Amino acid sequence: MTDPIRLHKELSAIWGTPGRWGRLSSVNHTVLGKRFMVVALTFFAIGGFLSMLIRAQLATPNSAFIGPEIYNQIFTMHGTVMMFLFAIPMFEGFVIYMLPKMLGARDMAFPRLTAYGFWCYLFGGSILIIALLVGAAPDSGWFMYTPLSSRPYTPGINADVWLLGLTFVEISAVTAAIEIFISILKMRAPGMSLARMPLIGWYMLVTSGMMIVGFPPLILGAILLELERAFDLPFFDPTRGGDPLLWQHLFWLFGHPEVYIIFLPAAGALSTIIPVFAQRTILGYRSIIAAIVAMGFLSFGLWVHHMFTVGIPHLALAFFSAASALVAVPTAIQIFAWIGTLASGRPRWDIPMLYVAGFFCVFVIGGLTGVMLAMVPFNTQAHDSYFVVAHLHYVLVGGFVFPMLAGIYHWMPHISGRQSLYRLSVPAFWLIFVGFNLTFFLMHLTGLMGMPRRISTYPSNWGWDWLNLLSSIGGFILTMGFCLVLADLVLQWRFGRRYRRDPWKAQTLEWATATPPAPYNFAALPRVDRRADMLEPAEIGPVLAGGTGYLGFVRDGEQETLGVDMFTGEPEHVIVLPRRTFLPLWTALATASVFLALLFRQYWLVPFGALLTLGMFLLWPRTLGRREDTGPVDIGMGEQVPFDVESKSNASVLANLAALIMNGTLFTSLLFGALFLLVIAPNWDGVAPMSLPLWAGVVAIVLAIAGAALSWLARSRNAAGGEAMPWLIGSAVAMAAATVLLVLLMTLVPDPTGHARNAVVFTLLGYGALHTALGALMSAHGGWRIMQGYVSTRRSTEMTLAWLWCFYAAAASLLSVAMATLLSAAA
Amino acid sequence: MSGVNQRALVLLVAGFTVWSVGFVALYALQALGCAYEWPQHRAILIGADVVSLLPLIWLAMMKPVREGEPATSLSVTALWANRAALASGVLVFLPVTFVSACI
Ligand code: HEM
Ligand SMILES: [Cu+2]
Repeated sequence: MTDPIRLHKELSAIWGTPGRWGRLSSVNHTVLGKRFMVVALTFFAIGGFLSMLIRAQLATPNSAFIGPEIYNQIFTMHGTVMMFLFAIPMFEGFVIYMLPKMLGARDMAFPRLTAYGFWCYLFGGSILIIALLVGAAPDSGWFMYTPLSSRPYTPGINADVWLLGLTFVEISAVTAAIEIFISILKMRAPGMSLARMPLIGWYMLVTSGMMIVGFPPLILGAILLELERAFDLPFFDPTRGGDPLLWQHLFWLFGHPEVYIIFLPAAGALSTIIPVFAQRTILGYRSIIAAIVAMGFLSFGLWVHHMFTVGIPHLALAFFSAASALVAVPTAIQIFAWIGTLASGRPRWDIPMLYVAGFFCVFVIGGLTGVMLAMVPFNTQAHDSYFVVAHLHYVLVGGFVFPMLAGIYHWMPHISGRQSLYRLSVPAFWLIFVGFNLTFFLMHLTGLMGMPRRISTYPSNWGWDWLNLLSSIGGFILTMGFCLVLADLVLQWRFGRRYRRDPWKAQTLEWATATPPAPYNFAALPRVDRRADMLEPAEIGPVLAGGTGYLGFVRDGEQETLGVDMFTGEPEHVIVLPRRTFLPLWTALATASVFLALLFRQYWLVPFGALLTLGMFLLWPRTLGRREDTGPVDIGMGEQVPFDVESKSNASVLANLAALIMNGTLFTSLLFGALFLLVIAPNWDGVAPMSLPLWAGVVAIVLAIAGAALSWLARSRNAAGGEAMPWLIGSAVAMAAATVLLVLLMTLVPDPTGHARNAVVFTLLGYGALHTALGALMSAHGGWRIMQGYVSTRRSTEMTLAWLWCFYAAAASLLSVAMATLLSAAA
Repeated sequence: MSGVNQRALVLLVAGFTVWSVGFVALYALQALGCAYEWPQHRAILIGADVVSLLPLIWLAMMKPVREGEPATSLSVTALWANRAALASGVLVFLPVTFVSACI
């Protein structure tokens, strides 16, 4: 029997974060999850403050409080901050903090990536806020419609701030998505098969999957619009063969799923909290999983309902209208499951339950107005009126803010180790609930009375005065409620009662950690032998703390956790996680230099910043891996598994696969954009066919395919125990040659600023060139790792990665050259 | 065991993947048909509708694998998801049979 105190000390020494400046080197998910949440809440406060300004301006007719220019910045920033800087990062933080604890792991799959994502979020968000303070914030609305946001109509840097700042922030969403996806699949407690995961695992699996395919269209759109603004490539300019509708498609392809990306984690929190307070397990576990999957897909099939009034054929309207109405069904299934759980349990009323009840009232109303808006005739009437503002806040506040507050009251004791005092919690809830409904219910009415959104003022003779004044008063009541919550939390933090373990009698694993949790979560990992939302944390907790379980010891001073079979949850390998380091911070700063150079139009600096960033990234794997084969090692409980580097389906390979899928979605969006412009955009008649030397394209493709084949050979030679080096060098050379040819082709595209067709061809070839270059880099990196002794027959991760990227590069150059050829023939 | 689980996971997303592909195909055919003024536009749309419903029907009629506790629950879930996908397919694709395609 190990001594729990000694084990705790040993593990803390390895996993802990030092004080002072050392804190900045932290890669620990508990620390970073909290940081994400604190920063997100700060942005929430900023966004809330902006909404107060909006409501102050709109409180009375003919108001001269802030004036239209500033007003445009303020509502744009309110929407942008709430959606991108508060909602998404807030749930990212929640998941980063909670997920490993709920699934029984010691950290997320890529701790340094978590840290890098956090810095990108912080820096990108700060760019936006600083722009607001100096009066250069974006002002074309949070969906940035072109041509309003194009250079001729928004000449300053306002729109660039949005495009660049948010793309910077998006890095954190993208890295978090991959990380969450892989962590759920690979890092659960032994015995936790997929069908035993707590529901929140399923919610997050689907959410992160949605992010992997949902964010790329937005990122592509932002890149294209920034290319248009910076270099005058006319993707969205109808006079030169572009089309503003392309922006709308790309934006809403992301934008609608985004709403569900925000709602699903909140629903996951509800599915975790409700059973605890109903004192029974959730009803309809399986149908909820089916409903989440259905929602994940359906929510992609309705983006055009944001574009009902742009003039599209009836058939398309019918299509998207049906899908929009349909998505209410899986939502309803979950709501009935929650109500059923409460009805058949023995509900216990406590603060989190107040917010759950608030959620039900508010969200259901939002859902109903949503179905109304999905109907085309009604939509045409209510389009861009305050009815829409009312609907979207009922959905977003009901579907995210209320569950989040329930979650905060539910899990705050986990973070702080103290329980609520309750004095302020109840009045705070009522202020929020009443204030919210007063503010937003009336907006339905102003909307129906014809008040359009995004107006900075209105005349007094249209009968909107009283409703607007009451809305504004409601808004201030709401804010007072939030201030009380804040005070309540601070008091709880300072004076709350301490408690032993699992104060709510919850049945999920996170309550089996110490509270507040130790940096390593569990001194030993449990074996789960039933559905993981039916456990007894108060009993397993002390056992695990005593070191009984898997990995209940320290080996070589390394951060170890378990990787399991994706499906069955049987232990598969020991994952050695990288220790704390300043590298993520430096890399994020290097990345920031790229974005700042772009923002201030110092384009000559960009390549230096990009190379610096790339160089930093190449430093990351330096310390990872092993120089000798070890074979299976002890993991406790009498079992043995190998280290991750010796395992075929390890997390790095899966993560690169996910990154390639994400990248592939971006590329597909680009191909879609090219086709869209070819088929739909105006001013394509009479453009002269473009003559690019076909042979160069063909040779580039052949070289890329040869590069991919060589990297495949390298991999199989290595697997057979042979020399991989010569093949890798060949692969790198072939890929580099392909890059040169593609870049040459790019230079031959006649005047990319003249017509969208030329701009698209130019971009397609650029995409191909970038990826052959990356392929070359990955092959060369594989060779470098061989030289350093990190590769063997069994340790073959680098070989697989080189092959994956080269294969992708070959496919990408094939498709991009083919599409470029198709377009150049167009006339 | 892993095999059964893996199959169930694939089945869980299969139906809606087919639905998405059908959705995109129909939307693309609608746009292309209008742009290039295909004479047989309606027939092509209905054909594509039928083609995308067939695999959905097949998936919705599959028998769930009942083998071991964890495997079973996912495989029943998968069946429900696939039936939902079929229903979504029927409802959402239905307009291609009668609504005016190009105005
Ligand atoms: C705290 C209480 C809030 C108040 C009083 C408030 C108020 C408003 C108002 C009056 C507008 C209309 C601006 C216009 O169209 O002219 C607006 C827009 C918007 N709000 Fe809020 N809001 C609040 C919270 C939230 C939250 C929590 C979210 C999201 C998570 C959110 C997301 C949005 C979005 C996306 C827009 C659209 C902005 C645009 O049109 O570009 N709001 N809000
Ligand atoms: Cu939508």
